[in-house]
Amino acid sequence: MSRNNDTIAALATPVGSAAIAVLRVSGSDTEVIARGLGLAALRPRRASHMDYRAQAGALLDDVIVTYFAGPHSYTGENSLEISCHGNPFIAQKILEDLLLRGCRLADPGEFTQRAFLNGKMDLSQAEAVMDLIQARSDRALDAANRQLRGGLSKRMNPLIESLLVVLARIEAYIDFPEEDLPEDDRAATTLAISCISLEINRLIATEHYGALLRDGIKTVIVGAPNAGKSSLLNRLIGRDRALVSAEPGTTRDFIEERIVVGGHFLRLIDTAGLNASPAPLERLGIEKTLERAVEADLFLIVVDASAAASPALPLPVDIRSRLTVDNTLVVLNKMDLVKDEPRLSALGGFEQVKVSALTGAGLEVLRATIGAKAEAFSRSPEDLVTINARHAHSLQQARELLQAAEAKFVGNEPIELIASDLRGVLEAIGEIVGRVDNERMLDRLFATFCIGK
Amino acid sequence: MLYQAVPYDVIVCGAGHAGVEAALAASRMGAKTLLLTGNIDTVAQMSCNPAIGGQAKGQIVREIDALGGEMAINTDVTGIQFRLLNESKGPAVQSPRAQCDKKAYQYRLKHTLELQPNLQIFQATVTGLIFERGCVVGCRTNLDIEFCGRTVVVTTGTFLRGLMHIGQNKNEGGRLGDFSAKTLSASFLEAGIELRRLKTGTPPRLLGRSINFSVMTEQKGDAEPTLFAFHDTRDQEDLFHVEQTGEGRLGWKPGCEQVSCWMTYTTPETADIVRRNLMKSAMYSGEIEGVGPRYCPSIEDKFVRFADKPRHLLFLEPEGRTTNEFYVNGLSTSLPFDVQLELVHSIPGLENAVILRPAYAVEYDFAPPTQLFPSLESKKVEGLFFAGQINGTSGYEEAATQGLVAGVNAVNKVRRQPPMLIGRHEGYTGVLIDDLVTKGTNEPYRMFTSRAEHRLLFNHGSAELRLGHHARANGLVSPTRLARIEEKRKRILQWNHQLETQRSPFGEGTWAEGIRRNRSGAALPPDLSHGAAAIRDEVLYRVAYQGYLAREVRQIEKLSHVEQVRLPVSVNYLEIRGLRKESALKLAEIRPMTLGQASRISGVNPADISVLLIWLQAGRGASLESSASPASPHD
Repeated sequence: MSRNNDTIAALATPVGSAAIAVLRVSGSDTEVIARGLGLAALRPRRASHMDYRAQAGALLDDVIVTYFAGPHSYTGENSLEISCHGNPFIAQKILEDLLLRGCRLADPGEFTQRAFLNGKMDLSQAEAVMDLIQARSDRALDAANRQLRGGLSKRMNPLIESLLVVLARIEAYIDFPEEDLPEDDRAATTLAISCISLEINRLIATEHYGALLRDGIKTVIVGAPNAGKSSLLNRLIGRDRALVSAEPGTTRDFIEERIVVGGHFLRLIDTAGLNASPAPLERLGIEKTLERAVEADLFLIVVDASAAASPALPLPVDIRSRLTVDNTLVVLNKMDLVKDEPRLSALGGFEQVKVSALTGAGLEVLRATIGAKAEAFSRSPEDLVTINARHAHSLQQARELLQAAEAKFVGNEPIELIASDLRGVLEAIGEIVGRVDNERMLDRLFATFCIGK
Repeated sequence: MLYQAVPYDVIVCGAGHAGVEAALAASRMGAKTLLLTGNIDTVAQMSCNPAIGGQAKGQIVREIDALGGEMAINTDVTGIQFRLLNESKGPAVQSPRAQCDKKAYQYRLKHTLELQPNLQIFQATVTGLIFERGCVVGCRTNLDIEFCGRTVVVTTGTFLRGLMHIGQNKNEGGRLGDFSAKTLSASFLEAGIELRRLKTGTPPRLLGRSINFSVMTEQKGDAEPTLFAFHDTRDQEDLFHVEQTGEGRLGWKPGCEQVSCWMTYTTPETADIVRRNLMKSAMYSGEIEGVGPRYCPSIEDKFVRFADKPRHLLFLEPEGRTTNEFYVNGLSTSLPFDVQLELVHSIPGLENAVILRPAYAVEYDFAPPTQLFPSLESKKVEGLFFAGQINGTSGYEEAATQGLVAGVNAVNKVRRQPPMLIGRHEGYTGVLIDDLVTKGTNEPYRMFTSRAEHRLLFNHGSAELRLGHHARANGLVSPTRLARIEEKRKRILQWNHQLETQRSPFGEGTWAEGIRRNRSGAALPPDLSHGAAAIRDEVLYRVAYQGYLAREVRQIEKLSHVEQVRLPVSVNYLEIRGLRKESALKLAEIRPMTLGQASRISGVNPADISVLLIWLQAGRGASLESSASPASPHD
């Protein structure tokens, strides 16, 4: 339903692997949001090519932004269209950012609805819109149900139940002060809230796609010292980020950068060279490298192709065991120094790309190959990504309110404020599983406490 | 025969808590009003416990006062013990409660009715309604006297086919010692109004001098009573008008000479007696078909459903200053009388207690309130209004506030004025009526603060500020009082602004920041701390809860759009394309007044609301133009 003309955002194109995804923003704050994105001159119907940077500053993608001034827009309101690479994660990342900037996730059919309400359609079209809204929402519901029948609902229901227990206890104290209720057990309630909080954290964290969405595909660059890992990183991000020198072991810690490759959002981690006999300080860097590498989604193993013999990489067994054809790419660097065909190293089973980080030769091929590998991670089962964004958004809201409630318990603040936060949590969760009626809380309350003055 | 040929504007059937507010509101608005009651001596009777207020209910009483009703002032001057509940919790959920002198409460209200201009009281039992072309035009009584009225407000309480149970013993009647309205139900059925059964119960009354209070815990009233009426804005003649005009009405200075209540507990022996005799209970032997309230279980229910709870708390509440009768709060039962005696005697302090009146359960007809518009007018019969227990509610306060709204809207109906509709965001009265007409109820409905989404805005002290515009629009309070309310609002806003902007000399930042840091311990400007308490409390509340209240207001604003979109009464929902059949049927049954109300109907989802919005828009300028105006049932 339309709520005034608050600003809504959503993916306007179907979720999938099309080359381009379009996000639409419409409503009263459109101009503010456009300026926030760095669109200085708001010239209607003029497309601008620009970097999309998240509010926090990270580069998400290069996009084409077009501003439409109402009433000459699809909805009749001021609106923006943002075309990004077709990768669902990038689109979602941008959508999440738009929500952080104050947009509300549009309801199914809401753009079309606004278009109609603003007189952009005639009566015959309106009927079609009504059918469409119902059909879309049914589909969304279908998708939600499918997901809810799965792992999510198995975890959401107990979550709601424990929340109702906590809330019923608090509401009983508020509404029945004259009753002979058990002692106000703040410790038990705080513990219950912590448990719910933990579970929500886990839900947010274990949603693998959610994690990929938020953080990008974790890609680790490993290799022997002086194989040119940092040079490669600098090449990939297109500027000097890592300190490069001919001295092996220059990168002692790790360096992290976010890049977009072939429409995929990557978290690129440069690491200290894996030296078999490192200096003490270097050893520290290597340990950190290994820590990062164990959790990686994608491995770029950099090998100095010009070296007489490819040095044995001291990869520990828990990393080596994670390497598969799908997640590993061997980068033969320094090809500018190689006259003959490079010797195949011990890593011969993996796909190999020849590059020169110094000259830039082979970089395009490398990007394409990384993109292809990343593609495998981006393909989510079914097209549930929009729903995932909703879930994540609601769960994060729930988490914030829970934390606020916890803090108030600690600060001994009035119980009705704690109740207010917890009711907000229930509302946020209700956005995932459907509104949780107050009657359910009352059922729980009267089943738990003997009220009957 | 007709008592008189000229029709009344409003006829109110029943003079309980709903009926008296309806009659007073209507006559105070200047409408020619008739109040019919089966027994003038039991006007405004407290059929159950002798107390007004409590959680959420206390706030409702203050709302009644804000709308010019009588319950608050009547409680203040006939109260014998005052306590502010939840004093240790935050101000939003603090509620005033008072024990009343049952007889004084009644007699003062009876006298108020007698003295009220435009109001006529008459003792007769209403036996049926007179309908003409889908409208109500009057009513019949057992004395064969008929009355014509343009509107009728029905407040039957538990009297509609009332049936009382004490064990296997059954008596017809709505209250012990009173009659039952048997034929009126037929009148409703004839008009196509559905009726269902509910049940409620009441505990035994005991003789005070047979009670040993020395083994019980005393519960005293507050040294500084929290009153229900807004004495700071009420006109003096409003306050003690009868006393001042020399009429000598009953009542005393609010809060003087308070009396105590007493607490005791059931024993293992009590539990044993209940369990041994369970099958003799009217409820457990299947004698009762009506549904009882979950929040007010009988002692049988308590021992069965909470078998692991060793004992249950009971309160002995005095019924008045000039009676020795005590009410045993918590001991409602439908067990036979001999078992009741045994039960009472198993309780510490009640070993030798004499029962003056036995406990009993009562079953009665109610009309599911989804058959009403939010104005409380019937969807089936024009001009017919319902208020109180007939709508499935429980409680004096819930009844009274409905009575007031029904009375006001009956007058508005006669005058062809738009009805007074109080929003869910404006007060508990709004929540109550919206819940009733939108969701209905399966048990006697009692208000809880948790039912209100915007509970934080409903602190009892703000009732006048929240509802003042309704009082103004419907002429429910005097111009002097309206002016005082506006002055109060202005001063609160001024102080609020000052505290938020002015730096405090005692520390870093503004006064407001200090208040939010230290809550009650914070320093205040002397003019504020020594000024009027009502203003100080409200200012402090707004400042301390500023962020929370702002959040509530934002949520309300977000929803205000759908709340303002009116739906025509005559919509054929089954013909709307894109609407699911299930939702269409629900909508056709409830016939919501606004999109907001539609969105609260269970089973109606946001997509349905979008479809409705588009359908409304599509019809604008076409055939629906006439119904695009407010969907008042008066149209």
